[in-house]
Amino acid sequence: MSAVIEIEGLRKTFHSVRHGRRIAVDGFDLVVGAGQVHGFLGPNGSGKTTTLRALLGLVRADGGRMSVLGAPSPTHLPQVAGRVGAIVESPQFFGNFTAERTLRLLARAGGVPAVRVDEVLEQVGLRDRGHERVKGYSLGMKQRLAVASALLKQPELLILDEPANGLDPAGIREMRDLMRSLSAAGVTVLVSSHILAEIQLICDHVTIISRGRRVAAGRVDEVLAGFDQHEFRVRVDEPERAAELLRDAGLPVDAHPDHLVVGEVADATVVSRLLGEQGLWVRELTPLRPDLESVFLELTGEGVHPSLPRQVDGSRPPGGAPPHGGEIDLGTVGSDRGGNA
Amino acid sequence: MNLVRAELERLTARRFVQLMVVLLALAFGVTAATTLAGSHQPSPVELAEARAQAADARRQMDEIYQQCVDRVNGNLPPEVEEQYYPADCSEVDPVRQERLPVATDYLTGVFTFGSQARPLLFFLIAFLVLFGFLVGASYIGADLNSGGVVNLLLWRPRRMTVLGTKLGTLLGATLVLSLLASVAYLATFWVIGQTAGLAGQLDADFWRELGALHARGMVLVLLATALGFALATLGRHTSAALGTAAAYAVVWELGARLVLEIVDAPRPDRFMLSSHVGAWLAGEARFWDASGCASSGGGFCDASYTLTGGTALTVLLVLTGVLAVAAFAAFRRRDLI
Repeated sequence: MSAVIEIEGLRKTFHSVRHGRRIAVDGFDLVVGAGQVHGFLGPNGSGKTTTLRALLGLVRADGGRMSVLGAPSPTHLPQVAGRVGAIVESPQFFGNFTAERTLRLLARAGGVPAVRVDEVLEQVGLRDRGHERVKGYSLGMKQRLAVASALLKQPELLILDEPANGLDPAGIREMRDLMRSLSAAGVTVLVSSHILAEIQLICDHVTIISRGRRVAAGRVDEVLAGFDQHEFRVRVDEPERAAELLRDAGLPVDAHPDHLVVGEVADATVVSRLLGEQGLWVRELTPLRPDLESVFLELTGEGVHPSLPRQVDGSRPPGGAPPHGGEIDLGTVGSDRGGNA
Repeated sequence: MNLVRAELERLTARRFVQLMVVLLALAFGVTAATTLAGSHQPSPVELAEARAQAADARRQMDEIYQQCVDRVNGNLPPEVEEQYYPADCSEVDPVRQERLPVATDYLTGVFTFGSQARPLLFFLIAFLVLFGFLVGASYIGADLNSGGVVNLLLWRPRRMTVLGTKLGTLLGATLVLSLLASVAYLATFWVIGQTAGLAGQLDADFWRELGALHARGMVLVLLATALGFALATLGRHTSAALGTAAAYAVVWELGARLVLEIVDAPRPDRFMLSSHVGAWLAGEARFWDASGCASSGGGFCDASYTLTGGTALTVLLVLTGVLAVAAFAAFRRRDLI
């Protein structure tokens, strides 16, 4: 599978008189293959938007190499801009213009037929509100308009920064369906989001960034599998005795008030047989699979110190150890493990 | 071409632009209406009286000049000795005066296009300069601030092309509007002069001078527009241009002028943009240098000096050019976040 987006060793440092020097992206790598719906995750301030802006030529990178649809970015970006639709972080529009006029102006500037305006307004659910001024729009409606502007060009590659921002649950579902339909039509989608459950539902691949560096990348199921500790939740009538039996069998057991969590279980029948042979009948035996949220929190260190106030991109509490020793790379392009570094 | 059309539509759709055009039309309408209401076509009797008064005034000027010459030659009769005459009689020589009294100077309540067109055009140019500066600043300032430029760059990732198109479209639209407004404005007052006043002396010289003033005014409007655009681009906001203009007026035109006068700096007016604007519009401007005659010992001393239109244009062009180049250079390298 060919790469649609390639970023290698991207670096960006912001300099400010008041705040000094701040490293936003520090040697970041990203590869998005053709046809993927690729999730781009990271805490606030981790460098997601800076990466996307650098990729789209809005921010000057200090180092690294980037390409979009095979064209080096930003030098050759104009050659492929007509095939790339993008929205970058809280897109803003001119309040006094209607959505229809906003899109018409963009279409005219980009040489897109005017008929596309009505099509994309229909596509994002703004058909009946397109004649209203944007300043009267809710955040979710502005977000829909932003997506509509990105879709105008019928792009081969769609880059969406927080597309679900401000959307209500129904809007989030519509956005999910839209991305699925675009993916089915062959559009490659790179989507950054904080709504991890959404990413898990929509995306087939994921890259996680923390403090400007990639900490995980690959197929979603493979990333999750890398964090699967083969744990099971066990409910049984005599939990203390059951825990003792399981520990004697060499299995790690974590006792909770109403259940046990047993780790390193290769096969569920091991647990049920072990307890059944001792007359303990299992009422529940449920595998505990990691979800993207728990993986994200573990990789970015967001959930390790609940007692401390969390700072923006506070992946590493002051004086604490790094949340993660290195990078989990399970292959960004297709299923080729580790082939993207 | 598509980008130019899109930018033109954005520009004309902006409420601020529409408001300024309405204000222009309003000021235009009020001026025309009050002129029309306060003017009438003079009767033959009024005209005859005015002509007589003008002829009398010209005759008096001739007499004063002749008396001045006689005094210098020692031929002045004693009964007029007490009157003041300048040491240099050429100062009162009617031939050397910029203009001689004419009949229209003595007609009250009569609008005369020939004598009023110039000040009317000054007013229009002043309004269009303000219009150009404010629209130039708000056009790019609001776009930078609202994310419009970022949206556009996602479609056309060529920063110089996008900014250049914006400036070009802005200057072109401002020039067209200024020309249309000028034609409508002067034509309206010409019609008022013809129907409810006097046309005045509209010879080739009049039209040539009015045309030259108008052309200089249009250059000034374009420079002000580019200046507002450049300042707002550098400051990323409309208010940056407005703040710079206000700060310049207070700190330099008022504060620095005062300091320069206190320290007796030679020819302080040449450091002021307002002097150059005036010199460019009028063709030249004369200023009096207070420190110029400090060491003259009380004898005759001409401390005045002239700023020519050419010098003024050079100063205004260099200032606008430098700021425009700086704006494009900053925009080319800037992180759009």
